[in-house]
Amino acid sequence: MPDKKQVLEEVTAALVELFEVDASRVTPEARLYEDLEIDSIDAIDLIDRLRQVTGRKIPAERFRSVRTIGDLIEAVQQLTTEG
Amino acid sequence: MAHPGSAHARPWRFLVTGFSFVLFGIGGAMLGSVAVPLLWLVPGSRSTRQRRMRRLVSAAFRAFVGVMHGLRGLDYDLSGFTRLGRPGQLIVANHPSLIDVVFLIAFVPGAGCVVKSSLWRNPAMALVVRGAGYVPNHPTDAMIDGAAAALAEGQAVIMFPEGTRTRPGQPMHFHRGAASVAARTARCVTPVFITVSPTTLTKHEPWYRIPRSRPRFSLRVGDDLDPVALSAGKPLPQASRAINARLESAYASELPGY
Repeated sequence: MPDKKQVLEEVTAALVELFEVDASRVTPEARLYEDLEIDSIDAIDLIDRLRQVTGRKIPAERFRSVRTIGDLIEAVQQLTTEG
Repeated sequence: MAHPGSAHARPWRFLVTGFSFVLFGIGGAMLGSVAVPLLWLVPGSRSTRQRRMRRLVSAAFRAFVGVMHGLRGLDYDLSGFTRLGRPGQLIVANHPSLIDVVFLIAFVPGAGCVVKSSLWRNPAMALVVRGAGYVPNHPTDAMIDGAAAALAEGQAVIMFPEGTRTRPGQPMHFHRGAASVAARTARCVTPVFITVSPTTLTKHEPWYRIPRSRPRFSLRVGDDLDPVALSAGKPLPQASRAINARLESAYASELPGY
């Protein structure tokens, strides 16, 4: 399993590139929608971007329970360990 | 305000409007239970069948509009519709009344359309929307992918970026779904500006609230936007924001105070 720090780096890179989010705001506690203004349409692009890195796509149902960057990291880690 | 010779016009329009709902319901059921299965028996590839189905739905909607107009239930005018229906064209429209989509499908015969996903569970309409290959407006990537794929294969696709009917008098707000689809695969984005005066069949009035004068539906096709130029090599989320902002400002200036 890739460690948390590594995944956080990937997620941060994606957010900076796609949404021009200030990297310092991407912390595990940050909420995607409320703090970083990532809406459901953005989420589709974000999932797509992370798929390019990890080779796998976070299922929409799984993503629905993602609220914070921490949740997102967990989802990505799960993705890369499952089978 | 007096309407010469129209003393009975309002009760008449009440009857016509009530009748129109019945007609639409029966027509939809007939389409779904008789016409669609019959048409399905005619052999052809998936895209041929889909085209046929769309022509049928379009003709049925034209007939519906014709009946409503013939019974003096409504007036309408269209401008610029020859520019609609081009390959890869994303047609966006504001959504002031229940039947905007009926007008657009009626007068853009081959187009695909993103429509309410609840229709896939409506027994009368399920076969129609399925057969015509319309895209359900699921709030997920399925809608974006479905509409983007339709455009990529050269269809024209109709979307209502407000998602729900316009609230008259409130600033128009577009969901970014349509812009996001545009940024992916649209060759051009063409806005249609719809006004209904006086308002009727809005989200917030019951159908039987009949306006004082005969409602006039006016559908005007605006200038194309070039999604590629607006994207200017930006990553998707920023491209879709740029396209959305451009669309919102086009509507704000063409339909001020709407």
